[in-house]
Amino acid sequence: MTFNSLQFLVFFMVVTLWFFQLKNQKARIWLLLIASCYFYMSFIPIYLLILGGTIVIDYIAGMLIARSEGSTRKGWLVLSLVANIGVLAVFKYYNFFIDNIHTATGIIGRPLDLPLLKIALPIGLSFHTFQAMSYTIEVYRGRQPVEKNFVTYALYVMFYPQLVAGPIERPQNVLPQLKEFRPYNRDNVREGITRMLWGFFKKVVIADRLAMVVDRTFAHTSESSSLALAIGAVFYSFQIYCDFSGYSDIALGAARVMNIQLMENFNQPYLARNISQFWSRWHISLSGWFRDYVYIPLGGNRKGEARRKLNVFIVFMLSGLWHGANWTFIVWGILHGLSVIFFPGKDNFNANKRLAGLLWIPVNFILVTLLWVFFRSANVAAAWGYIKSIFILRGGSHYIGINSVEFGFSLLLIAIMLWKERVKPGHIISGKSFYAYTIFMVLLCYYFGVFIENQFIYFQF
Amino acid sequence: MSKAASYILILFGLVLLWASTSRSAMEYITGKRDTAAWWGTYQGKNGDLVSMSYLDFIGRFKPPVNVPPAAAPVAITKNTVLYLHGDSYSRHLHDTMFAGVSRLYLIDRNHGLNYHLDSTKNNILLIEVAERYFRPYFGGLQMLNEVCDSLVKKKSIANIPLALQNEHVHYASLLPFSVDDLFNKYINQNLQCNLFNYNCIMPLFWSKASLNYYAFNRASGDVVISNDRQFLFYKETVSLTDKGSSYSPLEPGEIASIIANLDTIYDHYKASGFKEVYFSVIPNTATIAQPTGYNNLIPLIQNDPRLKMNIIDIYSVFKQTKQDIYMHGDTHWNSTGRQLWVDLVNTELAKFAH
Repeated sequence: MTFNSLQFLVFFMVVTLWFFQLKNQKARIWLLLIASCYFYMSFIPIYLLILGGTIVIDYIAGMLIARSEGSTRKGWLVLSLVANIGVLAVFKYYNFFIDNIHTATGIIGRPLDLPLLKIALPIGLSFHTFQAMSYTIEVYRGRQPVEKNFVTYALYVMFYPQLVAGPIERPQNVLPQLKEFRPYNRDNVREGITRMLWGFFKKVVIADRLAMVVDRTFAHTSESSSLALAIGAVFYSFQIYCDFSGYSDIALGAARVMNIQLMENFNQPYLARNISQFWSRWHISLSGWFRDYVYIPLGGNRKGEARRKLNVFIVFMLSGLWHGANWTFIVWGILHGLSVIFFPGKDNFNANKRLAGLLWIPVNFILVTLLWVFFRSANVAAAWGYIKSIFILRGGSHYIGINSVEFGFSLLLIAIMLWKERVKPGHIISGKSFYAYTIFMVLLCYYFGVFIENQFIYFQF
Repeated sequence: MSKAASYILILFGLVLLWASTSRSAMEYITGKRDTAAWWGTYQGKNGDLVSMSYLDFIGRFKPPVNVPPAAAPVAITKNTVLYLHGDSYSRHLHDTMFAGVSRLYLIDRNHGLNYHLDSTKNNILLIEVAERYFRPYFGGLQMLNEVCDSLVKKKSIANIPLALQNEHVHYASLLPFSVDDLFNKYINQNLQCNLFNYNCIMPLFWSKASLNYYAFNRASGDVVISNDRQFLFYKETVSLTDKGSSYSPLEPGEIASIIANLDTIYDHYKASGFKEVYFSVIPNTATIAQPTGYNNLIPLIQNDPRLKMNIIDIYSVFKQTKQDIYMHGDTHWNSTGRQLWVDLVNTELAKFAH
């Protein structure tokens, strides 16, 4: 059940209305848990068992960590982390590593033919695994009291708005909100709905329209002109942003309607002036996770400059691997890491140098766009070929999959999106303008939406 | 919102989700809905692709006048029983169209047939497959289980009901309860049918289709307009990734694997008592009407020396003819294309007529 489906709209209506009819929080938690199970099972039902298994493990681990001390406490934490990473290793990375072992042993002339697993990747596995790990780590660190109620804990991991593509939440933010009974609040409902509509707009009107260009140029690299490939790359930058941030807007809006405030995941990332700044604005919940649970435990910047750079490199390489079991993601992560290390840039520009600071925005955008090519391509060679083809300024087909009217319309949509998020980041609309806005956005999404069955890009992670 | 209104909407939503999930409920609803009334189900008459893209207002995509099928050549004796294993292309064929055929068995793929050969006749098996189904279907050996000698195998597969936009996921053996009735792969299509597929709502769909067609030069949904703007194509027949596409690259070893499967099928049915087994791939519209970039699937299969199966080569005929052979707003051939194919089949059947 993707957010941009009729099934979700009906499901959301039923769950939300029912939620507000229940007068005690225990019943609400049960309702949301059952709804979340149905939501997850609508992708592939059997994978609920895997999710359920990790929930049980982490719930028990949390209890055991809270009860024990010293090395035993650490042991339980390690055990729970191993279990979570083990699930990821089997379902997400096993075939990738076996493939690489097979290739490597083949090169040295002694091919090792290990069996591959014929399994599909459970949807959103990396997201809910990381969210579950943040709970046990926080309990271990003593910053989060253990959650004794299994149903509440299960809902913390499974809460449907952020179950399959984040934000990767922290227990300190979500668990207290889940436990507290909050009555119907009209402002929150309006804010949530307007935010959801903005998310739908970004997904079905912008991202899925740009996808037509991106799919075309990435599938016809060899015959496309440099200009067409450059347009494809730039459009992919906006496609992935509108797709992922659109998902986050819908998730945050859906939770907001039920009086639950999830963490922000984006903050105009393409207005960043350097890569470090970009990562403080893009997929904020993942950056924060790696900062708190990998970078700082590795020593952060406390052990000298060389060690800091190494830590940054490790974090970005892991971040690439987190996205997918493919060298394209690893190379993408490594290149981002190297960019952060070697082009740190400045965050603050004084009045005299403000213009110079602004000039770095397009430079950084071009760098990010070129790195996205690795993220989008099927393999590293294809990505490199794509980038090379942009810069050798060759001829070829200028056709990008849409006509000139739609190309111009796409540019207009991107400009509107950037303007709206720059000047009007808020989503609170009251009174009659709320109804006008709702009707306008519904008509806009209907008439200009591209309704193809495109899943959200980040669902695969 | 008042409490009563909330409960009414909750109930409405639950019933809607259940009705759009349940196969039997959908059968009941679609059976009850009047197609003529303003609130009734919209059923396009201009072809399946026109209906999918709501391009009813474009004249060139409307179907031509249907030419009735020509009578079969007169044979001296009707001594052939034709088992035609096919898909929607062969659905409306009948025995009077074929030379020397005393009885025609139409075997719908995926549903199968129990048979017992008539030893006094020439039993001919003709396998017809649309190109878009060819690679997925003959990548395996499913067909071996679909046409079964009822006396030998005692396998009753004739009673499998027709699916009504409903494909259940089978996990019953893995879980202690059946989840089949809770999840339906086609729930969104069913919801659209239940919520919006009414004659009175069609102007809304047509207006969006007009916008896409006139402003953006494209069709909505899973339909693509051909480069010369004369045909509509089903998207999966022209994408670069779908196996049913005319343009998706063939994988290494794929042709060899399909040939091996076809040979296994041929040997199996020859050993089962069929006098001859024929095979015919009906090209996608795009294969003939927009051949640039074609992956050459059909010629590669048909010209492979390892193939044992006899071929009804309609691909070559379609390539050469100047006639209009496909409907412009539908996935199927028109009556001219169909007749060309029937003529080819009759040429082969004539060999058994005496």
